[in-house]
Amino acid sequence: MAYLVASVAGVLFFVMSVTLLGIWPKRVLEAQTATMSPENALGMSASERRGRVVYSREGCAYCHTQQIRYLRADVSRFGAPTLAWEGRLDYPHLWGTRRIGPDLSRTAGTRSEGWHFTHLFSPRAVVSWSVMPAYSSLFDGSASRPFQEARDLVAYLESLGRAREIAGPEGEAHARKACDCPDDETAQLAFGEPLNAHPARARRDGDVPTDLVQTFRAAGAGANDVSALGWDLYADHCASCHGAEGAGDGPGAATLRPRPASFVDHEYSDARLADALWNGVAGSAMPAWRDHAPADLAAVATVVKGFNAPRPAPALPESLLETGARVYVANCRQCHGEQGDGAGSAAAELTMAPTNFREQRPSLDRSLRALRDGVDGTPMAPWNSRLDTAEMLAVAHYVRSFFQAEQAGGR
Amino acid sequence: MGAEKSDSAFYVQPDDRAIPGRAYNPRSIPVACLGGRPVRNLIGMSDRTASPVALEVHTTLVHAHGLAALVTLLISVTFGVVASLQLLYPDVSGGVPWLSWGRLRYAHTQGIMLGWLGNAFFAFLYHAVPVLSGRAVTSVRLGRWLFALWNFAVMVPGWLLLLAGVSQPLEWAEFPLVIDAMVVVALLLAAVQFLPALFTRGLDYLYVSSWYIIGALVFTILAYPMGNIVPEFVAGASGAAFSGLWIHDAVGLFVTPLALAIVYFVIPAATRRPIYSHFLSMLGFWLLFFLYPLNGTHHYVLSVIPMSAQIGAIAASALLGVDVIIVVANLLLSLRGAGFVPREVGLRFVATGTVFYLVVSLEGSVQAQMAVNQTVHFTDFVVGHSHLAMLGFASFAAAGGLVHAWQRISWARYNARLVNHAFWLLTSGVVIMVVDLTIAGLVQGWLWQSGAPWSESVQASRPYWMLRTLAAVPVAGGFIALLSGLTTGPRGAGLMVVEESVGVAPIEELAPRLAPMTGGAR
Repeated sequence: MAYLVASVAGVLFFVMSVTLLGIWPKRVLEAQTATMSPENALGMSASERRGRVVYSREGCAYCHTQQIRYLRADVSRFGAPTLAWEGRLDYPHLWGTRRIGPDLSRTAGTRSEGWHFTHLFSPRAVVSWSVMPAYSSLFDGSASRPFQEARDLVAYLESLGRAREIAGPEGEAHARKACDCPDDETAQLAFGEPLNAHPARARRDGDVPTDLVQTFRAAGAGANDVSALGWDLYADHCASCHGAEGAGDGPGAATLRPRPASFVDHEYSDARLADALWNGVAGSAMPAWRDHAPADLAAVATVVKGFNAPRPAPALPESLLETGARVYVANCRQCHGEQGDGAGSAAAELTMAPTNFREQRPSLDRSLRALRDGVDGTPMAPWNSRLDTAEMLAVAHYVRSFFQAEQAGGR
Repeated sequence: MGAEKSDSAFYVQPDDRAIPGRAYNPRSIPVACLGGRPVRNLIGMSDRTASPVALEVHTTLVHAHGLAALVTLLISVTFGVVASLQLLYPDVSGGVPWLSWGRLRYAHTQGIMLGWLGNAFFAFLYHAVPVLSGRAVTSVRLGRWLFALWNFAVMVPGWLLLLAGVSQPLEWAEFPLVIDAMVVVALLLAAVQFLPALFTRGLDYLYVSSWYIIGALVFTILAYPMGNIVPEFVAGASGAAFSGLWIHDAVGLFVTPLALAIVYFVIPAATRRPIYSHFLSMLGFWLLFFLYPLNGTHHYVLSVIPMSAQIGAIAASALLGVDVIIVVANLLLSLRGAGFVPREVGLRFVATGTVFYLVVSLEGSVQAQMAVNQTVHFTDFVVGHSHLAMLGFASFAAAGGLVHAWQRISWARYNARLVNHAFWLLTSGVVIMVVDLTIAGLVQGWLWQSGAPWSESVQASRPYWMLRTLAAVPVAGGFIALLSGLTTGPRGAGLMVVEESVGVAPIEELAPRLAPMTGGAR
């Protein structure tokens, strides 16, 4: 009899724990999933499912979580907290218990595909301080030659957080209505903040904080203004792609398309730098850097400006500029805009915003190269079959005439 | 019982009239006792069994599992050390897939839990179950099958599959399903091997160590499939709830009960007197099995798992701290007179493990609270906590049990100096490692909360990771010393140590100074 009591008591404790902390939460979560998930929630393709297997077996979940908590610290970095229905296809879950690297729940759309391949092949080629293992065995000797498993893995990464984004405002409203949020703060964290607050997510038409450009201007552009802090930050975060000397020849540049910009070949306005650092360059591997303080960004901008040594250009003959204007209006205006500000009629359809020549002046050499060879990885095609040398030279000079270094009020 | 003489041995404890250096004829002294006293007095058994009992401890199985434990330990420690090096020098393994950080991490945790602790617990069970119950374990043949299954159908293929990329991405459940099936079979065999002996005489005769053994073997059979199989069929957050249950049950229903069984066994055996209170020991036992499983959701605090489940788990975590205070108070009071650092090394391992147990449990009670958890979750604080539990508490208890059992095998090699060195190396290594990781976790958590860029938390961790890797020197050195201490030295030297090291004065001398014992009669 005593045996029976003891055994039943013991097993009952276990059954109680499984019921209270396993089965009952499961029922609540399944009810939540049923009511809060969007009407036609997106599934996973075969490639994404294979990628998930690669993610699981390599232990990615032991460095990267997929679980954004109901905390300001999590939400401001990674986006809205993970809802129950977002994991409805996760057999088994990949929530993770340790963050050495950042959370990946809403990583879809934050990095370009080329960045992902380069990062997987050799993480320190794009993130110099990373301690992530190099998954070079998923590639055929180079980041630009991924095996199927690498493609699958990147496809999987690009699916994380996508379902909720694609569900759109309707999905969010539906979820919010059905949510049995315990209090207002939880509801606000889950639905009130932008869905994807990832500080690295590039934004095509993002705003720039009003005082950021002022901060950049105040930090100066001369060689004397470059600080040790700026150099450290540049070395940690920028040199891996843009090169230690700013020539766009860092280790990551070999396989990133479009290639990282060469600061030696470009002159930038403060507004352009502020926009590139605060909003990234959508369509390229350049992420945004919103998690850095404005003073840090200004210090980096000063370093970037310092790489370019503008040479005084001789006065150009009128006829050259007229030819350039004529060629420009005939060929370039649709993308680069009437005023050379990158706001042409076709610009909105392009994967990457066309260069705004009012804020960014390429060197002559760079202009000619772009015209002759195109800019690999962007919609800028080679023009050497449609323009002859004289025309290319003329328009190369012409676009350099748009630059307004001291534009008041920024962009 | 006498049929397989070549394979097992009657094993005896020296009694009070033992003369150091005297050779023992194993067949001449049929009385086996814990620490020189008849078993019945020490563990609260009724005086109805008047005649002494001859015990059969299958020392070859103790020895085999002990060696397997130490070998798998060193392999697992190697995996761990390489993984910690890879955080400092990520390209050290050259991109070879089966040496990548993630897979080594899987192999490290499963190796420690199942290989080292699993084998060490089995070794201890082969020693303790006959002593506690007065009966032999079920069968030597079964024992050989269990040994072969555990080491060659679970550990070796498990590691090979993990490193080859066949695994489950579930914390503490990384071995693939095919290996999980083997583990369940082995656990069933272990239940058949060890439990019948404990049940032969009725619950009144069960000492608390026996209770913990029964609880551990039964509950692990229930919890292991739950943790390893359910998340494969229950998606996302719901599966995570079950994962959280297993993460805690692995520690709380498998490792802790067997470690406590060792501690409750070694302390009275080495001090040669009863524990302080049987009532408190049983209270602690039932509280443990009630509260530990209810802790599971504290691994996913502030997630989307229903808040009431989270709050319940946090409350259970706080109550668990109370339970551990009760248990450890009982154990430390049982150690009175043995000194702050007991002289006898098996007792010393166990006593130190007990102190680590108190620290890690109080730490756990605190870190489950939301206010603390929001900062330290996902940081190295948790890694420090798990190492304090598995390395500090469980490994010290297992080492103590192993050393205790080894000393009482008349034909086993034993080198007392090396075992002593092992203790000091391990203690210093564990303290350095855990303090380092705890501080690292706080630094990481505060950096994340301050909104600093992610790069800062990784770069700030480097010096702590460096010190953690350096702590591998005393830790690995300690375990190597332990292996050497149990495989070199004169045969039977352990028995000499047992005689010479009386950790505490015999009960008659202490009796006038002690408070009356509580709850001894059952």
